[in-house]
Amino acid sequence: MEHDDLITRREALSRVAILLGGAISAPTLAGALDAATRRAWTTPSRDWAPRTLDAGQLELVATMADHIVPQTDTPGARAAGVHRFVDTLLSDHYPTPERDRFVAGLADVDARARSGHGKTFVECTADQQVALLTELDEAAFPAVRIDSPRTSDTWFFRRMKELTLVGYYTSQVGATQELHPSPFGAYRGDIPYGSVGRAWS
Amino acid sequence: MITYDAIVVGSGITGGWAAKELTEKGLRTLMIERGRDVVHRTDYITEHKPSWELPLRDARLSVGTKGAEEYPIQARTGQFRESNKHFFIKDKKNPYIEDKPFTWIQGDQVGGKSLIWGRQVYRWSDLDFEANLRDGHGVDWPIRYADIAPWYSYVERFIGVSGEKLGLTQLPDGEFQPPMEMNAGEKLVKAGIERAFPDRHVTIGRVAILTQPLNGRLPCHYCGPCERGCSTGSYFSTQASTLPAARATQRLTVLPNSIVHSVIYDASTNRVTGVRVVDTVTKQTQEYRARVVFLCASTLATTRLLLNSTSPRFPNGLANSSGVLGHYLMDHHFLAGAGGSIEGLLDHYYQGNRPNGIYVPRFRNLGDDASRRDYVRGFGYQGGAGRQGWGRGGGERGFGVELKRKLHDPGQWSMGMTGFGECLPREDNYVELSDQKDEFGIPLLKIHCTWGDNELAMRKDMAASAGEMLEAAGCKNVHTYDAYRGSGQLGAEPGFAIHEMGTARMGRDPKTSVLNAYNQAHDVPNLFVTDGACMASSSCVNPSITYMALTARACDHAVEELKRGNL
Repeated sequence: MEHDDLITRREALSRVAILLGGAISAPTLAGALDAATRRAWTTPSRDWAPRTLDAGQLELVATMADHIVPQTDTPGARAAGVHRFVDTLLSDHYPTPERDRFVAGLADVDARARSGHGKTFVECTADQQVALLTELDEAAFPAVRIDSPRTSDTWFFRRMKELTLVGYYTSQVGATQELHPSPFGAYRGDIPYGSVGRAWS
Repeated sequence: MITYDAIVVGSGITGGWAAKELTEKGLRTLMIERGRDVVHRTDYITEHKPSWELPLRDARLSVGTKGAEEYPIQARTGQFRESNKHFFIKDKKNPYIEDKPFTWIQGDQVGGKSLIWGRQVYRWSDLDFEANLRDGHGVDWPIRYADIAPWYSYVERFIGVSGEKLGLTQLPDGEFQPPMEMNAGEKLVKAGIERAFPDRHVTIGRVAILTQPLNGRLPCHYCGPCERGCSTGSYFSTQASTLPAARATQRLTVLPNSIVHSVIYDASTNRVTGVRVVDTVTKQTQEYRARVVFLCASTLATTRLLLNSTSPRFPNGLANSSGVLGHYLMDHHFLAGAGGSIEGLLDHYYQGNRPNGIYVPRFRNLGDDASRRDYVRGFGYQGGAGRQGWGRGGGERGFGVELKRKLHDPGQWSMGMTGFGECLPREDNYVELSDQKDEFGIPLLKIHCTWGDNELAMRKDMAASAGEMLEAAGCKNVHTYDAYRGSGQLGAEPGFAIHEMGTARMGRDPKTSVLNAYNQAHDVPNLFVTDGACMASSSCVNPSITYMALTARACDHAVEELKRGNL
């Protein structure tokens, strides 16, 4: 698990699911739910509080996530609650060593910001933040493929990016505003892409 | 003492069928299930839940993660997720012992694994039924295709199977509803493979999923994750199909939360008289009597039960005068195949989450020289094509607006295929009872099972041939893979295919087999075993429909024999 990243695992499993004749686990349709249920998820919970991250760490996750998937004509990662998802996953799913590794990765981001700019990441300007994330991204995904790019140095950023994408595209915002779920009904094996115009969530 | 005409142990794919057939033929039947009740529709608690309503967003719960603590074995399979964990057994309460890794995936609830099965259904052919006789591995099957063909038809008409007829000897056609459609990528790869290899075929999977209404069940609506349960009854499960039929007779009693400890044997009549049951909640013991007993508890649970049913006549397990009970355990070996990308087709897409893929019927060792290889038996492929989704963004450089724009569109097409290979029946793949007992006083099963040279040789061909076919079809970046790691490591060890079978095999000779041609114990005439335990070889196709057909056939025989006064 330590040396295995989430997207790779998810993709491997999706691949196996296809191979087994099963479906890629598909987020399903908002339209299938009754109005009361839908209101329940769109109403922000007043009593929500992080259980693993402190307020500063939560803000750091939200800030980074919003750079990875920013607001465009649809809301970005912060509005989609990616930081809450990350806290939930760290609290209820990650084995303790992996959780601790992620939290240590957050501290490292702040350490880099301090050494470069004398401020925490969140206190940096947006340009400084993007520059720092670009450094992390280029280190994690080198332009020239090398045999073992998955050094422990880049684990955190790869994981952060993956969690942002999972958290965003499986959120209500990501799955129904940015993308659309495939509707229930008939299966059509070959339709013009232009008739859909975006990926199914 | 409560008496019925028949007792069926287990409520999954075969238990449901036995209950349906026996009740419809007039027998008052008790169906006993170790796990909890699962009510059709009501208890499909995650069905159609959107991803954001699942706190972990339907994470796969792998071994060692929080959420999987009670499921250290079930968590090994990729099928085990946040949205369906309640349909898998809690390993901590139901332990077993692995000599070498053997992943035993179980569903202990009314409906059993019929709620979470893969739904792929393929008939066996005489290539399969004659295999043991031909190459000398295992004992000869006591039946041939002609014996079971009408029962396949009977089952297919009831459960509903969609698929395409191919006219192949090695994969007989059935009674099919219209097939599901292939997508553009699959059609392209199919054309390329069939052009390059005239003896190989690519077809849409034959699945127990409706494409037309049947008996009040609705056609598939393509929501995707069948294994959360299906309120429209579009795939075959006990709940959707056999249980309502059995209930309609008013002769069925279902007893959940009740594990059968042992089968009661009366030496004076040489008959089983009933079963001893432990209530899993109160731990109280109760006996139930019947004139005929069907064991449908799943392959290894059934054999465990037989091994634990000892008497002076059968000190090594009920109906085990042959001594082969527990031996010749098999599973399919899989997770060896290939993947690749498909260029172009970027103006093609699909709609709907089709719970099915493509199938490539067996093309090795068909009896002619051209298809012969240096191993025996063969394999088929399951696979599929699709366009990459947003997940690809996590494996590439880039973030921000540019990334979000890119992920707005699907990525390129890719295609994957994995082989499902036949496993030989070997005596040294076996299960036995250990000295330890579970909380119900039943000894734990100890499993000894490894792949042999034939499986490992076949896997090389499974990977290489898949790669060769994808290359021939014009795929790019073709890579072959084999998840088997050996040395007792998990990867593609026995059990993973969840097609465990054998250990109480059918055969012609009571000295070398447990069951006769009608799944009836050679030693004890009113005892039947119709789940996967009965299998004398494994074929390479998914086994469930064969279990169903054997069950229906055995029920017919049992009732005829009861009428004749022979049981």
